[in-house]
Amino acid sequence: MSSNTANQTLRTRYSAEVKDILKRYPDDQKRSAVMPLLFLSQKEGLQATVSVMSEIAQILDISITQVASIVGFYTLYYSHSGGKNRIQICTDLPCALRGADDFADKVCEKLGVKLGETTEDGEFTVESVMCLAACDKAPMFQVQNGDGITYHERQTISDVQAVIEQLGNAEIDKSPEGAE
Amino acid sequence: MTESILVNIDDKEVAVPKGTLVVDAAKRVDNDIPVFCYHPKLDPVGMCRMCLVEVGTPLRDKETGEMMFEENGQPTINWMPNLQTACTMVVSDGMCIRTTTSQVTRARKDVVEFLLTSHPLDCPVCDKGGECPLQNLTMSHGSSESRFLLEEKMNIEKHVPLGDLIFLDRERCIQCARCTRFQDELVGDSVIGFDERGRSLQIITHSDPGFDSYFSGNTTDICPVGALTTTDFRFGARPWELAHTPSVCPHCPVGCNLHINTRRSGQDGNWSIKRVMPRQNEQVNEIWICDKGRFGHHFVNNSDRLTAPMVRRHGELVETSWDVALGLVSEKLQSSNGSIAGIAGERLSNEDLFAFRNLIQVNEGSVSQWPGLLGGGDLVQKVGVGVDTDLAKLGSDTAILVIASDLSEEAPLWWFKVRQAATKLGASLDKSRAALIVANARETKLDKIAKYCVRYNYGDEVRTILALSHAVSDGNTGIMGSIAANDNDDVIAAAKAISAAKNLIIIYGGEGQSYAASNALAQACSNLLIAKGNVGKKDNGLIPVWTHCNTQGAWDMGVKPAGVSATEFVADADVILLAGADPVGDGEPLPENSFVVVSELFKTKTAISADVVLPAQAFVEREGSYTTGDRRVQRFYPALPCSENVLPDWEIFQRIANEMGVGDVSAGPAAVMRQISLQVPQYRDISYENLAAVEEQWPDIGGEDSYYGGTGFQNTGGLGVQTLSLIESGFSVSPGDVDPIGLATGELLGVPVTVLYDRGSTFVKSEIMNSRISDPYIEINVGDALTHNVTDGDMVSLILNGKERELIARVSNDVPQGAVLIPRSMDGPMLRGVVPVNINTIDHGSKE
Repeated sequence: MSSNTANQTLRTRYSAEVKDILKRYPDDQKRSAVMPLLFLSQKEGLQATVSVMSEIAQILDISITQVASIVGFYTLYYSHSGGKNRIQICTDLPCALRGADDFADKVCEKLGVKLGETTEDGEFTVESVMCLAACDKAPMFQVQNGDGITYHERQTISDVQAVIEQLGNAEIDKSPEGAE
Repeated sequence: MTESILVNIDDKEVAVPKGTLVVDAAKRVDNDIPVFCYHPKLDPVGMCRMCLVEVGTPLRDKETGEMMFEENGQPTINWMPNLQTACTMVVSDGMCIRTTTSQVTRARKDVVEFLLTSHPLDCPVCDKGGECPLQNLTMSHGSSESRFLLEEKMNIEKHVPLGDLIFLDRERCIQCARCTRFQDELVGDSVIGFDERGRSLQIITHSDPGFDSYFSGNTTDICPVGALTTTDFRFGARPWELAHTPSVCPHCPVGCNLHINTRRSGQDGNWSIKRVMPRQNEQVNEIWICDKGRFGHHFVNNSDRLTAPMVRRHGELVETSWDVALGLVSEKLQSSNGSIAGIAGERLSNEDLFAFRNLIQVNEGSVSQWPGLLGGGDLVQKVGVGVDTDLAKLGSDTAILVIASDLSEEAPLWWFKVRQAATKLGASLDKSRAALIVANARETKLDKIAKYCVRYNYGDEVRTILALSHAVSDGNTGIMGSIAANDNDDVIAAAKAISAAKNLIIIYGGEGQSYAASNALAQACSNLLIAKGNVGKKDNGLIPVWTHCNTQGAWDMGVKPAGVSATEFVADADVILLAGADPVGDGEPLPENSFVVVSELFKTKTAISADVVLPAQAFVEREGSYTTGDRRVQRFYPALPCSENVLPDWEIFQRIANEMGVGDVSAGPAAVMRQISLQVPQYRDISYENLAAVEEQWPDIGGEDSYYGGTGFQNTGGLGVQTLSLIESGFSVSPGDVDPIGLATGELLGVPVTVLYDRGSTFVKSEIMNSRISDPYIEINVGDALTHNVTDGDMVSLILNGKERELIARVSNDVPQGAVLIPRSMDGPMLRGVVPVNINTIDHGSKE
């Protein structure tokens, strides 16, 4: 039965973090911990898999469908695999008014992908996302990777180039044959 | 109730209770403000924007606080600058609402246009077409043209199975969230939810099996479009071709009111049931039914049905005429000199049971109820729950004690209503919650919403009630001492809640019960109710969770349990008459030299070995009445035509009596009910006329206006009549002795429990449900499994009633140590109480 074979990844690998997160919420409202737990689960794999969602559901005593709804609603969470670095460009209305749509197209062009796609080397995924709370500093994007989230505001396409190179180089150091 | 408020809707004054929503206030004066996401049973969300109206409130002078008036003496109205959603706006004193202005009309037109941006408009092939709110409201409020581009319509999946019972059409969904809110608020099974956002918002399920809820079918009723449909009805018929018949569910003691839709096939001319829907009865099932009731009707057209009377000739059962068969039966009865035993099933109608008992008694035989597992029916007649009690409406002045019952499995709609009382989620105006106390040997689904949980060991049910009673009067559990693994604080806390409550309802079930144990439990519960004065009035008294739909009717008709197995009961009888009873199939054989007569729907094991077999009509083929566990007598009607060679049970027994010259055949079931009303005191005021009486119900659902579309059906067949308990009729009732019961002992004890999706003969034959029905299994504690070298999914053998059985073992933390849960009606020998068992593993992991 599912209850006997449930995934234990979070609880074994991040037991201290899980405990710390749960401590922040009253016992009868621990379901509120769903978002930090999901964020924690993306730390390495950058993906909320079904087995991770079912583990979180079990920890919080809610249904896996409820966890999946959160993953589906927020662009912060991924239920599908992607690149090591997720470049998330806000294209909501205020950003679009400052040229975010056009900016997103150019970033895609630079990396040779379409929105939502991942580069062939598996380094980058470009996505358009909902509001990132920096409407006055558009065009802007955030990069989500194993190190967490970094904000990049008031961007030009050459700024992006620099970011891409920096992130890409970090990897190149580890795997020389991947370099151009 | 709450105070009343005057509001003005389109220049019409209406008085409504404080807290009423504008949309409901308008409905009271037949002003149907169009809605999609709003549903009167759910908490409003204002998601669809269809109900926009103009709202104004009387203006008051800022300094004096005095009302301001126009020159013509009318109050000055301060109209809000924007349109308001009528489904979220609560009325206030003097509020003015306009629903017909050009601004409102325009808004409705625009909202419909928006809702249709991605709707496929495939009404001609849609199951909802003809009873679809989106279709209706588009016709009355929408525009014939759209400014959106056809190419931009979403083309997404149209046949998504959300499990085996419900299909989702993603294109048709208008994102109203009625289905998810129903599951979250009213059922508490959050197994469907929304994925994505905005235009991409979609319904998903991740449960295993998909959409794993006993109430899933209801979402197809409340869906205001054709996005959710049942596998059963999908592409099965058009709503306008269907014939309508009111009926009552035959699966459990709640007695949910059903609405049966039938259609005559154009190909072979045969009538068949196309779908079963809920029929509104606010006190019984509101507008809901469980999936067992909705889909468990297919047994009526199963090929195993008996079609002609049969008699045994030269060892073989051969078809014959009714005259020959009944002639033979009456001859045998006449020559038996009263050595007659009659066994009648608890799912027969009142009319059948009455005629059966009369036939046996006039021949000086004895009758018993089948299977007759539980006791206390006589106590229910005395101190049963007060007339007009609505479980869902119970508030903080009431304590509800549920003992020895896994209510969600035994009586889903009672579970549903008790949950409403304990949570007051959904649309209820009154948010005061009843104190729910759940006493059981293991955790059940009720525990999650219970205020107090009391644990005991199986066998300690009566002691638990005695300890509670002692604590209610004295504040401690007294001589009963410790009752279980848990300490007594739970008992004392629960007792405090009972003492503090003005009203008390005790619901007792059959988990781990024998007839004698259940009798004692019912008596202990009754004594507590009587001692506290919680009897003879609304919101107080005893409710039995019977194992069948008409167990209470059987008690009322004088067909009571024998308290022993059928084998023991019939031991010395020359002639055995059985109706709707299959003791052989349940492991209780009949003597070989007796003359056995069986009246049945199916070729049961008992029927196959009988001397005379008489084919009986199913509930949808005839008229009759059932009595619920809370003593509501409800009438059902014939929905399908039936072969003339198959008769209703009451007529079979009356014809036998007539053949013997000891009675007449009634003109019809109404005439049988007239006889019942003359002979059974509680039924003296009951007639087919008053069982058919209806009165206006609120919310106004399922009416001619199709306001909520396919949501259930208006009740046209009768709300039923609750019989008065003896104490309500003015008799005095005093506490009785609680007979001590011997407890079974052993290392492992087999405990009979009830599961909803069992293998009972009227359910397992509904093939649509087969994927949800488990193979026969037992459930065992993790520690015991380890000791006996059993792992989850193993095939194990155990001896039950002297017979070896092979079943799947499920290993679970929820089963108490030392107990082996053995579900009833799982093709196996029936347990008449807790018995010691031995378990042997025969095959590791053969089934997962």
